[in-house]
Amino acid sequence: MSSTPLAIETHDVRRIYKIRGGKRKGEAKTLIALDGVSLEVPRGELFGLLGPNGAGKTTLIKILATLLLPSSGTAKVDGLDVTTQTQEVRRRISMVSGGETSGFGLLTVEENLWMFARFYGLDNKTIKSRLAEMMQMVGIYDRRSTKISDLSTGLRQKMNFIRGFISDPSVVFLDEPTLGLDVTAARDVRGFVKDWMAQNPDRTLLLTTHYMAEADELCDRLAIIDRGKTLICDTPENLKRRLQSETIFHLKIQPLRKPTSPENVVEAVPGVRSVTIADQTDFSELRLSLQGEEALPAVLSHLSGRGSGLLSLEKREPTLEDVFIQLVGRRLDEDTNLNGTGEER
Amino acid sequence: MTAFKTTSPPAAKATGATLFWRTMWARAYPRIVGSLIRERSWLFFETVLPLAATVSYVFVYQAVGAPEEYVGFVVLGGAMTAFWLNILWAMASQLYWDKEGGNLEIYVLSPGPLMAILLGMAVGGFVMTVTRAAIILIVCSLAFSVTYTISSVPLLIAIFVLTMIALYGMGMMFAAVFLASGREAWHLANLLQEPIYLASGFYFPVRALGFWVAAASSLIPLTLGMDGMRQLLFAGDATLGFLSVEVEAIILLILSVFFLAAARFMLTKLEEIGRREGRLIERRR
Amino acid sequence: MTTLSPVRPEGERPMGFADRLLSLPFVQRSDALRSFILGAWLGWQIESNWADPLLFAVYSFARPIASVMILVVMYSVITDGATQQPIFAYIYLGNALYIIVGGVLGGISWAVIDDREHYRTAKQLYTSPLVGYAYLCGRGAARLLIGAISTIIVTVFGVLLFGIPITIGSIDLPFLIASIMLGLTSLSGLGLIIGAISFQLGRNAWQAGELISGALYLFTGALFPLDILPPVLREIGLIFPATYWLEAMRRALLGTNMIGFPTFAALDNTAIAFILLIMSVGLWVSAAFVYRWSMRQAREKGVIDLETNY
Repeated sequence: MSSTPLAIETHDVRRIYKIRGGKRKGEAKTLIALDGVSLEVPRGELFGLLGPNGAGKTTLIKILATLLLPSSGTAKVDGLDVTTQTQEVRRRISMVSGGETSGFGLLTVEENLWMFARFYGLDNKTIKSRLAEMMQMVGIYDRRSTKISDLSTGLRQKMNFIRGFISDPSVVFLDEPTLGLDVTAARDVRGFVKDWMAQNPDRTLLLTTHYMAEADELCDRLAIIDRGKTLICDTPENLKRRLQSETIFHLKIQPLRKPTSPENVVEAVPGVRSVTIADQTDFSELRLSLQGEEALPAVLSHLSGRGSGLLSLEKREPTLEDVFIQLVGRRLDEDTNLNGTGEER
Repeated sequence: MTAFKTTSPPAAKATGATLFWRTMWARAYPRIVGSLIRERSWLFFETVLPLAATVSYVFVYQAVGAPEEYVGFVVLGGAMTAFWLNILWAMASQLYWDKEGGNLEIYVLSPGPLMAILLGMAVGGFVMTVTRAAIILIVCSLAFSVTYTISSVPLLIAIFVLTMIALYGMGMMFAAVFLASGREAWHLANLLQEPIYLASGFYFPVRALGFWVAAASSLIPLTLGMDGMRQLLFAGDATLGFLSVEVEAIILLILSVFFLAAARFMLTKLEEIGRREGRLIERRR
Repeated sequence: MTTLSPVRPEGERPMGFADRLLSLPFVQRSDALRSFILGAWLGWQIESNWADPLLFAVYSFARPIASVMILVVMYSVITDGATQQPIFAYIYLGNALYIIVGGVLGGISWAVIDDREHYRTAKQLYTSPLVGYAYLCGRGAARLLIGAISTIIVTVFGVLLFGIPITIGSIDLPFLIASIMLGLTSLSGLGLIIGAISFQLGRNAWQAGELISGALYLFTGALFPLDILPPVLREIGLIFPATYWLEAMRRALLGTNMIGFPTFAALDNTAIAFILLIMSVGLWVSAAFVYRWSMRQAREKGVIDLETNY
């Protein structure tokens, strides 16, 4: 193993895709998926990449996992260059994605996992003992002889997890690992990840997610990424602390009509730092970031002036979602505008 | 799930030839177990189809009053179609299918060499196909009382082995080409079916096509392989052969080396392009 | 929301001719017709557009021509190129027409497996208000059309290069039209039965149609007169519509140039047409039952959207 304490290191990584759809027929259009990303993840850290769809998270993971070359910049895993020392990197890493469909439907869970482990050069004895342990751990031991075409999404993802971890990698990339899983299965997956990290201080894990709570619960540090750029990188606590000076309210009001003039928007009310509005069928949801509680009455009177009565009001501690909104200016579930620079790959 | 606690020792990972060997057999496994044991109906489907075509061609020859040895030619050609179909549909197109199913990404991500993956597919496919070819050969030989007069067993074995190495080497090369051509791979495989039956002389001695056509067709290893085997199996009919068996064996040897080297080169290129352009490896709709 | 009409921005006609058909009032009233048209449109898009047009032309041309050339070479090796013999026209035309038989018999089962394994759209298709069998027939129709183009190409090739004796005078037009209609109806009934059964099979279903058409190649007198076959095998051929259809088409196209073989000597054109009619009715009634049974079975076993990924 390399002597560097850094498990993952990227320096000014850019990735540009050529896609169809230029102005003239047949002309290629370029799309900047990553625009100079620099990160340092020390060994032993569970690092999160947080961002909306199209931010560039998956592109970065694919570069680090040797599936994609950077257009420029350097990326290293365990001190090894992912562009030139590909084979060495592959021995040390593994990747699991949410909604993964790999495997052969006609083979059983055990057979598929045996096959994948052999691709990593493991001997039969090791595979046998590790498989039995890990299948018991994730709770699919009793389904080991089931053909994988008969597995549910949750069980299939548990199998994918074993595939990812059976080769005893030192760096693991998890791309939206809980995508499409139910609450229990997602909790199991998070538990598994935490335990795996806890077992050996040299292990490193890079996780992409757009579930804020998941990132908050799991990550030692995280980077918020949007339109191919890292906006900020810190521990979840420090990120939330940035917003301590703000007061955050969540309001439900009667459906908000469009403002009659630009000056008539909620943001124009004195003391309002930022507002996001989500319109539902029977009401509108407002997330207000205020300089202080004293600004609230003015906001309420502004809303009632626009014909929207208050339905409920709640004062909230800042969350990562609030950090994200403050940095990006929109909610996480709003995708990156594709006319911009990023597209999820 | 319970807590992650493994008591087994850290996984020792093989490298070099051992890794190659393990990867190859791991990829052959789904082929052999999946097709031969788990889904036996596959064998039936894959056997009956070439069998029906072979028998039809035998009757065509009988309808036009062909000499007896032509029945033997057709039977051998019919058995060999199983190999050609296997190359097209289970070798050449397979990486594309693997991409669509999400497996290719895992192959590329793992340290197991892609060449070993392809060789595994070839080995698995060969076990399956040799069974099929044998069934066609035995059933048709018995049904039409084909008489074989083998002039040299060692040479026959040599020709068969060389043909298979060259053929599966070509299949591996095709796998890379087909993957690069994406959806059109399907049409490419279709396109190489009947035209190759024609050009390689599956149902008649390739010599009938004239020297230059037969020479061009010899790039497909089955052309010379079948021609050589026909000469050796029906000893009295060496005059119908295209080249002498010895020359054919040498050419097959050259083709084997060429196709294996080409497959290796193209796979490396393919992976490089895939990583550079961000396609080829991932599933696309 | 149960409408099947495509929603599109004003002025855009993404489905061209199919779109115009779908706008017809009587089509809009019938789910089955709309499903058929959508299936045919989709089938045509899949089979024709996605490949390079040049490649498509080669594919529609090269494969069938190669196929018939194998027979031409086989024939020439033995007879020294005596293509004026009636048996040559018999073999040649049988092979050309058989492309259609293969397309119709295999097209539907192909569509089943293609939707399921390749495009993975089976889930969406069979949970939508499509009329399943009509959609599948549409997909089959697209393949039939592509097959028919190849048949015409191969036939014209044979007339021009090898002197296959089809002339304006030799064609019996009314009988030709009747043969085409009755033949296609009966064959598509059989194709639908095979397609319906494909729902029960794994990935090898994609070969089910080819398997049946391959086997029929042997028994239906496509390449050689049935009299060549041993008597038991000959009897098998007599239960399939393709046998009568090929005989009818040869008679309709070749007229008096058609060589007479004892198998059908006792049957005149009307009798052959009548046999095809009876078979059409029987096969379509059976297809309705088999389709309903197979869909129920598939739902019971949960294999409508099976993906084997082998």
